[in-house]
Amino acid sequence: MTSLNPTSRRTARRRFAMLSLVAAALVGSASATPVTAAPSYQRISGEGSSWSANAIDAMRVNVEQFGIIVNYNATGSTAGRKTFLNGTVDFAASDIPFQFQPEDGSAPENPAPGSYAYMPVTAGGTAFMYNLKINGQRVTNLRLSGENVSKIFTGAIKAWNDPALQADNPGITLPARNIVPVVRAEGSGSTQQFTAWMIATHPEVWQEYCERSGRAPSCGPTSFYPTVTGMISQSGDLGVSEYVKQSFAEGAIGYVNYSYALSAEFPVVKMLNAAGFYTEPTPNNVAVSLLKSRINTDESNPAKYLTQDLSGVYTDTDPRSYQLSSYSYLILPTKVAGQFNEAKGLTLGAFAYYAMCQAQQSSASLGYSPMPVNLVEASFEQIRKIPGVQVQDIDIRQCKNPTFSADGTNVLANNAAQPQACDKQGVGMCPTGTGGLPNVPTAVTASSVGSPTPGSPTPATPTPGSPTPGTPTPGSPTPGTPTPGSPTPGTPTPGTPTVNTILDATGAPVDAVTGAPVDPTGVPVVVVGVDPAACDPDTGVCGGGAGQTADAPTAGGAVGPITATTLAKSSAWDASLALVLLIVILTVGVVLAPALAWRFFNEARTS
Amino acid sequence: MTTTLRPTTPHGGAPDTPRTLSLRLGRSDKIFTRGTFASGMIVLSIMGAVGFFLTLESTDALGKVGFGFLTTSVWEPDRGVFGIKAVVTFTILIALVAVAIALPISIATALFIAEIAPRRLRSLLVSLVDLMAAVPSVVYGLWGAFLMQGQVIGVSRWINTWFSWIPLFKVEGADPSNPLSNATVYTASTFVAGVVVAMMVIPIQCVVMREVFSQVPPGEREGAFALGSTRWGMIRVVTIPFGRGGIIGGTMLGLGRALGETIAVYMVISSRFDVSFNVLEAGSNSVSALIALRYGEASEFGLSALFAAGLSLFMITLVVNFVASWFVSRSRSGASSDA
Amino acid sequence: MTSTLRADPIATDQHVDEPQPPNAGRSTTLWASTTIPRSDVRRAAPSRRPIRSWSKRDMQLLAGVALSSICTTLLIFGRLTSWNGKVGFAIVTFLVFLVIYAVLSSLTENRPAVIDRVMTVLLASAAIVAIVALASVIFYTFGRGWSALRHLNFYTEDLRVTGPEQDLDIGGVLHAIVGTTIIMVMALVLTVPVAITCAVYLTESKSRAVNAVRTIVTAMTALPSIVAGLFVFATWVLVFGFPRSGLAASIAISIMMLPIIIRSADVVLRLVPGSLREAAAALGAPQWRTVWHVVLPTARSGLTTSVILGVARGIGETAPVLLTSGYATSLNLDPSQNPMASLPLTVFKLVSSGQDNQVARGFGAASVLMAIVLVLFVTARVLGGRPAGRLSPRQARRRVAQSASDLVRIDALRAARVETNVIAAPRPPAREAFSHGSTQKEHP
Repeated sequence: MTSLNPTSRRTARRRFAMLSLVAAALVGSASATPVTAAPSYQRISGEGSSWSANAIDAMRVNVEQFGIIVNYNATGSTAGRKTFLNGTVDFAASDIPFQFQPEDGSAPENPAPGSYAYMPVTAGGTAFMYNLKINGQRVTNLRLSGENVSKIFTGAIKAWNDPALQADNPGITLPARNIVPVVRAEGSGSTQQFTAWMIATHPEVWQEYCERSGRAPSCGPTSFYPTVTGMISQSGDLGVSEYVKQSFAEGAIGYVNYSYALSAEFPVVKMLNAAGFYTEPTPNNVAVSLLKSRINTDESNPAKYLTQDLSGVYTDTDPRSYQLSSYSYLILPTKVAGQFNEAKGLTLGAFAYYAMCQAQQSSASLGYSPMPVNLVEASFEQIRKIPGVQVQDIDIRQCKNPTFSADGTNVLANNAAQPQACDKQGVGMCPTGTGGLPNVPTAVTASSVGSPTPGSPTPATPTPGSPTPGTPTPGSPTPGTPTPGSPTPGTPTPGTPTVNTILDATGAPVDAVTGAPVDPTGVPVVVVGVDPAACDPDTGVCGGGAGQTADAPTAGGAVGPITATTLAKSSAWDASLALVLLIVILTVGVVLAPALAWRFFNEARTS
Repeated sequence: MTTTLRPTTPHGGAPDTPRTLSLRLGRSDKIFTRGTFASGMIVLSIMGAVGFFLTLESTDALGKVGFGFLTTSVWEPDRGVFGIKAVVTFTILIALVAVAIALPISIATALFIAEIAPRRLRSLLVSLVDLMAAVPSVVYGLWGAFLMQGQVIGVSRWINTWFSWIPLFKVEGADPSNPLSNATVYTASTFVAGVVVAMMVIPIQCVVMREVFSQVPPGEREGAFALGSTRWGMIRVVTIPFGRGGIIGGTMLGLGRALGETIAVYMVISSRFDVSFNVLEAGSNSVSALIALRYGEASEFGLSALFAAGLSLFMITLVVNFVASWFVSRSRSGASSDA
Repeated sequence: MTSTLRADPIATDQHVDEPQPPNAGRSTTLWASTTIPRSDVRRAAPSRRPIRSWSKRDMQLLAGVALSSICTTLLIFGRLTSWNGKVGFAIVTFLVFLVIYAVLSSLTENRPAVIDRVMTVLLASAAIVAIVALASVIFYTFGRGWSALRHLNFYTEDLRVTGPEQDLDIGGVLHAIVGTTIIMVMALVLTVPVAITCAVYLTESKSRAVNAVRTIVTAMTALPSIVAGLFVFATWVLVFGFPRSGLAASIAISIMMLPIIIRSADVVLRLVPGSLREAAAALGAPQWRTVWHVVLPTARSGLTTSVILGVARGIGETAPVLLTSGYATSLNLDPSQNPMASLPLTVFKLVSSGQDNQVARGFGAASVLMAIVLVLFVTARVLGGRPAGRLSPRQARRRVAQSASDLVRIDALRAARVETNVIAAPRPPAREAFSHGSTQKEHP
């Protein structure tokens, strides 16, 4: 009945007026905030590869200065191509072309002919990022042959101390930890590249796994990694790198783009190439490797034009090459359809020009390899096919692309450093860190460090992955860079920050992270000065009682071959447990006995 | 309160014969009636459309695999091999773990609020529990992924160490006697997801139970006290039997919520498609997480398969919710609770 | 459980209130207005007596036991068995506490009393666990988000030029805040009118379809939000070909919110005392006036609460937005096209990126989201703290003043009628009103 009353009606009206004022102010303030975009540019959105997402995100951020607003969702290459087909995005990013005849049993993708064009946007390497410690020291120089990588990701090799892995890494004693392969959960181009490589190089390993995982008979390259128990699947390169990064994920290894290992500040596996060298996918190495990729130049067939054939990369005998190098593509619409129109085409064109020209300058710093000149030129032609595009006449030399040279060869590849001599198979092992931890060397046994070949060239360009060994940068953000033998008392070391001790089976406390035995005060017990030869090859644990117990700060600070003390192995429910129970009962008994006794006497007296 | 309507015969005399009533609506009321009826029909049709569309979309996939849909665990619709055995098993496992954790806490909290807490504390607690229900699930997901995961690993390892002889707590690949064994075998597990979902289930169960417990007839309570019962004795013989329907109904409601949770589970688990009842083991799945993971890259048929999965999830929650409502409404206490 | 609302014998017994004398204290008491009967289903239960208060001795005992249990556990943990870990410490302390408390209580109490005490401690500790968990969720979120929250730019900028590694003094979540606001406002515009009219239909109509609608609505509250999102994605986006946008997201959220709001509004409207409707009908009001001027205003606070709680639920939904709108890093004011970020989705995307600053931003966004939910929640508490028909002091004062002025007006009218000697004839369509009233009877 209130609203019958004129006064309340007035208040209602006033309230409404106020509300609308507030709403208007909200909208007004909101619309006033963004930088007034150049009127001609419309917001565009894309979706797809997470492998190339770091590069595309950098471009996205940089084109904002021109008033171009790009939304990019790294949902995986498969999802990118799918949403492109659905017409719900303006462009897609995918590591692989449309799958007209997928060999893994998934549904064929059938884009309308002539409705799209591929544009190679960046290149890079699929790196294997791992989380492995030996006695609290992060391993940063792991090396693996292609066969071992395949076997790890097919569950054929289950433990880090497998003799096959140990053979790749003569300088370090790998621990008896289980390997946790981390793979992509959703449809992903890098999964497809990885499986294609595996099928090309180690078909029997893959075939066996394909049957074991229940995927057979569709055992072709797949975007959906088949999993078995013991594997972890995560969404996106980010999901994988995030998982591997966790402190609890020790023993994990996952495949991501090299740039993710850089930003996660984690090492990557050096993989054995056809020349017998262990290399990592630095931008230079990728540039070298991709010289051997065959690009389809049949312009009459847009379904194939500019796509890559990587079989030459797998067998490249350049000592610098990295086998899992590849290009990643933008898929551009060439017809107006779905939500895409000519106004968006104008924006997309400008974005694509930027991506192919200016953006290539900075991609090496992110961990990607810039496009060579022939692909940039071809891409410019592809951009012309976007409806509504404003064709730009770009002087290609103004792009400052680090690969361009006057004679047309790839500068980046020309300048790529030769691998160190110790990276050669069978000649020991380099202590140099890799990936995101180039300045964190891992101690290797002296005999295994190969003597540097006099003629081996020093790195010409200071790429993140190839620092000179033995020169840790001071002030590096990552812990654990002390020089051998120098105790650093008082400073936090890898051993101490994680005093998250839990009980192991015996009731003996064990550091939750490192698995090293801990003394009751929570400080890891470490024994220094043990002959590395005394290490147990099965557990990676070095025994020998002759060491002296040292405090963790000193011990953790030393890079010399540190080894833990003996580990009591026993099952649950044993004597030590009984002892613990006894202690608990006795302690509580000590507290309660007086009270119970008092009661007993009281009752005795009263009765 | 409608009892006064019937004309009574206060002064004696001849009893009234009921008048025949007829209803002739005015124009305004006709508009009103039709308007509200229309809105009811709109809602009916929207909801009907959702249900119909779900069924329609999923017939394609269901028609292809038939009963295999229930017995296949892998999810590869494009190869024609897909089923919800694994995802539904994991979904139910997560929900059961969540309810198993939440149930004791929510019953005890509800009893505490209804029977023990002083009046002031009571209203505060009621507000806090309601607030717990209002916290967005993504926040619980954050909490689970960033804070709980680390804590739960220790608990999982402990349970696994001592109780691995129970099949439920076995962990493939875990070796408690080996200090170097990976902590990863305990991460992203059904158990971790269950702990996170439990946080969302607690308030839902607690609200229903508290409401039911607070309706215990004071006469019966005081009768119990008068017979010399302690408070716990009274709770045991009066409150809990009285609220049994509410306890069961609230539990089921919580289960319904736990089954449908998406993002918090998605943030915590690592998906797997082989059925495993080892709740502590790494890897789990849920129907909603499957949809969130695969909708973008699904082909037309794959989408139909996802719809079939969504439909089956909907069916399960539907049954659970209806059973919950039935229990609550049938119980002595739950008549007016809005469950 | 819908139709049995008033069928419960206990409830009925309790809620038959003695009718208020119609004219009692018409200008002094707050309860004088005819629209405010005291009866209310939930409140009417006779108040309980406090059973026991804690004596000083109990408190001393508890404190002593707590102290000794902590000391004992410290002894066991730190000195004797060298255990570690907070969780283990808490659990052992608790167990030791229970044992010591039971034993010490047994010194003075008999068995049932000891059990009573131990159970009381157990129940209380469960409540504490729940509260601690809630507090840890809230404080952990705010704590980790604080580094982002304390920068003003966090609220005034979006992430369009912000790379993941950039410092926290660049970029913010304005796009998500605005996106959430737009999506929720649109969802409300779509939902509230339909939901309230539908709830009115459920409570006021005698149509046979009511039960069908109610069943369907109840069923649809079980609809998982992701399925709602999938539905909109498949129809709106894929079949109809509309772009993924804020509008699509708000449709999905509407579908999810609609049954929730309808159901709680239905409950609230059913709590409006039937006597009010009867009174209105008896005064000759047609049904729509009864609803518009009596039922809805009476239940206003409850309706507001149900809407707000629906919003609180919808605003935190991530999955439907993920499917139907997609994530965007820049401010988008156009809900009809292009992705529009919402807060929960932003949280999800930011924290999954893993870089420290992005995670801090994600937690900051989660804090903002939670602050919004908190505000909504407190608003709902303040508005909905009172059951249907109970007024706030201010509303009551206004109502009294209104009644008083009505009385003056009626008196004046009557005086005028007496003057002109017009005898008020009974209104002809009284039958209509009566028949309305009789329909209000509840069925068992």
